[in-house]
Amino acid sequence: MIAEVVLVLALQAMPELGRHVEAGLKAKRAGDLETAISEFKRVVELAPGLAAAHVNLGAVYLEKKDYGNAIPWLRRALEINPDLPGAHGMLGAALLAQGYAPEAIPHLEQARADDVLGVALLESGRVREAVDKLEAALLQRPDDPDLLYYLGQAHGRLSKQVFDRLAGQSPAPARARQLLGEAQAAAGNRDAAEQHFRAALALRADLRGIHLALGELYLGAGDYEGAEREFREEARLAPGSAAAAHELGAVLLKRGRARDAVAELRRASELRPGMPETLLELGKATAATGDLASAEKLLRQVLERERASEVAESAHFQLAEIYRKLGRAADADRERKLFQELRKSRQ
Amino acid sequence: MTWLAAALCAALGTLEVARPAGVDFLHRHSPTAQKYLLETMGGGVALLDYNNDGLLDLFLVNGGKLGDPLKLPADFSRREPAYWNRLYRQNPGGSFTDVTAEAGLAEAGNNYGMGAAVGDYDNDGLPDLYVTNYGRNALYRNHGGGGFTEVTAEAGVGAGGWSASAGFFDYDNDGRLDLFVTRYLDWDLGRNVPCGAPLRSYCRPDKFGGVTNVLFHNEGGGQFRDVSARSGIAAVKGKGLGVAFNDYDGDGFADIFVANDGMEQFLFRNRGDGTFAERALEAGVAFSDEGTAYAGMGVAFADYDNDGRPDIAVTNLALEKYALYRNEGKGQFDYASLATGLAELTARSSGWGLGLHDFDNDGWKDLFAAQSHVLDNVEKIHSWLRYLEPPALFRNVAGRFEKSDLASLPGIAGRGAAFGDLNGDGHMDAVVSVLGGRPLVLLNRGGRNHWLTLRLVGLRSNRGGAGAKVRVGGQWAYATTSGSYLSASDGRVHFGLGSEKEATVEVLWPGGGRQVLEKVVADRVVTVKEAE
Repeated sequence: MIAEVVLVLALQAMPELGRHVEAGLKAKRAGDLETAISEFKRVVELAPGLAAAHVNLGAVYLEKKDYGNAIPWLRRALEINPDLPGAHGMLGAALLAQGYAPEAIPHLEQARADDVLGVALLESGRVREAVDKLEAALLQRPDDPDLLYYLGQAHGRLSKQVFDRLAGQSPAPARARQLLGEAQAAAGNRDAAEQHFRAALALRADLRGIHLALGELYLGAGDYEGAEREFREEARLAPGSAAAAHELGAVLLKRGRARDAVAELRRASELRPGMPETLLELGKATAATGDLASAEKLLRQVLERERASEVAESAHFQLAEIYRKLGRAADADRERKLFQELRKSRQ
Repeated sequence: MTWLAAALCAALGTLEVARPAGVDFLHRHSPTAQKYLLETMGGGVALLDYNNDGLLDLFLVNGGKLGDPLKLPADFSRREPAYWNRLYRQNPGGSFTDVTAEAGLAEAGNNYGMGAAVGDYDNDGLPDLYVTNYGRNALYRNHGGGGFTEVTAEAGVGAGGWSASAGFFDYDNDGRLDLFVTRYLDWDLGRNVPCGAPLRSYCRPDKFGGVTNVLFHNEGGGQFRDVSARSGIAAVKGKGLGVAFNDYDGDGFADIFVANDGMEQFLFRNRGDGTFAERALEAGVAFSDEGTAYAGMGVAFADYDNDGRPDIAVTNLALEKYALYRNEGKGQFDYASLATGLAELTARSSGWGLGLHDFDNDGWKDLFAAQSHVLDNVEKIHSWLRYLEPPALFRNVAGRFEKSDLASLPGIAGRGAAFGDLNGDGHMDAVVSVLGGRPLVLLNRGGRNHWLTLRLVGLRSNRGGAGAKVRVGGQWAYATTSGSYLSASDGRVHFGLGSEKEATVEVLWPGGGRQVLEKVVADRVVTVKEAE
């Protein structure tokens, strides 16, 4: 915009210049970028010392996503007049697009373009600064998927930096083995994960979280007995852990011990009230003990918190089963329909 | 070689591996690098006394040859003896003789074999055979004298597509056996798609559409009529693998449970007017306890808890838990895998053929399952899972299941399973068909408990008495050859009596009659003829 204003002043002095500028702008607005380039090149020939002419030419190349050709024109514009924030922003963006993130940073700082600057900082390995800039940009555009993506990446890299420091310690401390175990578990390498977890426990038997992770490994492999043993140990080490109580309750239910499951799940619910997953399991376990009225209330609490999730789908199914057993056909039908609707929408 | 001499004495709790002389069958499924889904699904086994000599004979369904890759149209090479289905006649003494050719069963057509069903559809007192295929199915009429005649075209029961389990039953109680055929997927060899990355593996069923099952009504005179649409059976598309029959709501009409792979299960309630309504969700047997679909494979439809109501057990894949639905009455079931301990016992296993039979004659039906994962390379994908698994026997202890120790049995790719007292010693035996392998014959060493086996002869009802409900003490059994996976079992009804040396037997015939036999002496096979 600024470049266009400057050009307007220049063209009053040079009529031919004015014609080319007007033709270039018209072509650009019409999407005819080749003609715009041709016209703006003529403008640069006629007025080589005019920064705005170079900016406009660079801007057209940028619009064409021809970053390589945009860069020299924008650089030249800033040599002529370094106080053009728009040109800095465009040059920074072009440099970033070409992979020159460190070079882009000072230009983007000049332009105060937090969003692109955040990305450039991230690409340059300056992750903490990137997080700050991306979070600032996210305040303006809270749901921007690109910003969310890059912020997620930035946080992930920060985590990795910390984990790399931990994993790099020699000999590997228990926490490092725990971390490696978690990484292997996330990658689906169950045997390797178990080895790391066991090694961690050998170094520090009271480490929190490892028995929980081992229990989840066993549960995922269908070993309910092993899972119960590990969840029970985690619950012993961390009696205030809602997660341990939840998992222990859930596996007890799978093992057919509904009353024991109810006790653990109640404890989990007291430790962390209102967790839909725990309320769902507690509802299932309560139903399995035959207390259908209490189970119904618990499942209703789930649905107050969750409406369209997998948890909600399961809650509707459990409610349908309860109403079926209670002989409340219309309620059962309604819940079945809601269950089926959610199921289909999630497929 | 006799049964006793052939037994390897690899103790399996009550079961021993036997290698009866004369059974040289090798199932050929032709595994390829293309991973045609067909390769991993067959084949079935049937136990039947085709020549009425009182000894159970053995029929095994073969697969077929597959090119790698296959050239279409496919030639499954079923003319070559290596790819024949096989019938083995049991000789006195326990050996077998291959009678496939002389029985007229060598010609299987250009199909890839899947399963077998057995029933006396023409009421001549001789069990007939129905073989399901990828391609056209085949009906073989037993004409006596040790031979069968293929009558598929005349009977009108060829179906087509990819059929899996089938079973004979009399859904309208007209005294003639009708035929139900499950079909698996809307899939053909020309539409095989690559699945699995980086390791190619067999596709999940959700890669393909479902298809309708087929119901044939027996019109008499050797003719059937496809009533799939008229009866309501074709109103829903499924991915059917297993099928079993029983009267779950006690209205006197046989209902149908179909085990579907990777979707909700089907329970077709027989309305008694020739039509069916699919009621699995309403009855509580469509999903797992968590409301999730699972890979239904085989099914058993029998009363495991001796309350007089038939329950349903379904095998599925590892981590899904075999499903057990307890019949609560009034057409309602309760998911019972957790409470009975079956979930914990089966959470790591993948099952196919199964049956609820009293293996220790203690008066409670035990659960037997043929096992193996569906993916032959599953261990490379999930290191904690196993492709080959030994069969499992879950002993029923007053309604709760405990696993019998079968640890000495090597892992196999079990698929079908058929049940019957092979050696006539009063103890239920099992034969497991093995994908790409030799069948596993498991003889029951038994114990000292007493038993009673009833051979039903219908007069007003169908000749084999299929669909009769039989009560002995607190136990109920349903006369059928169907259930399991791709397989057919001995149609006689077996009861364990524990320490009882005699029993009162009550038979409710599908034709409506009721017969009571008092003080029937135990430890024998008793023939019960329907009163005229």
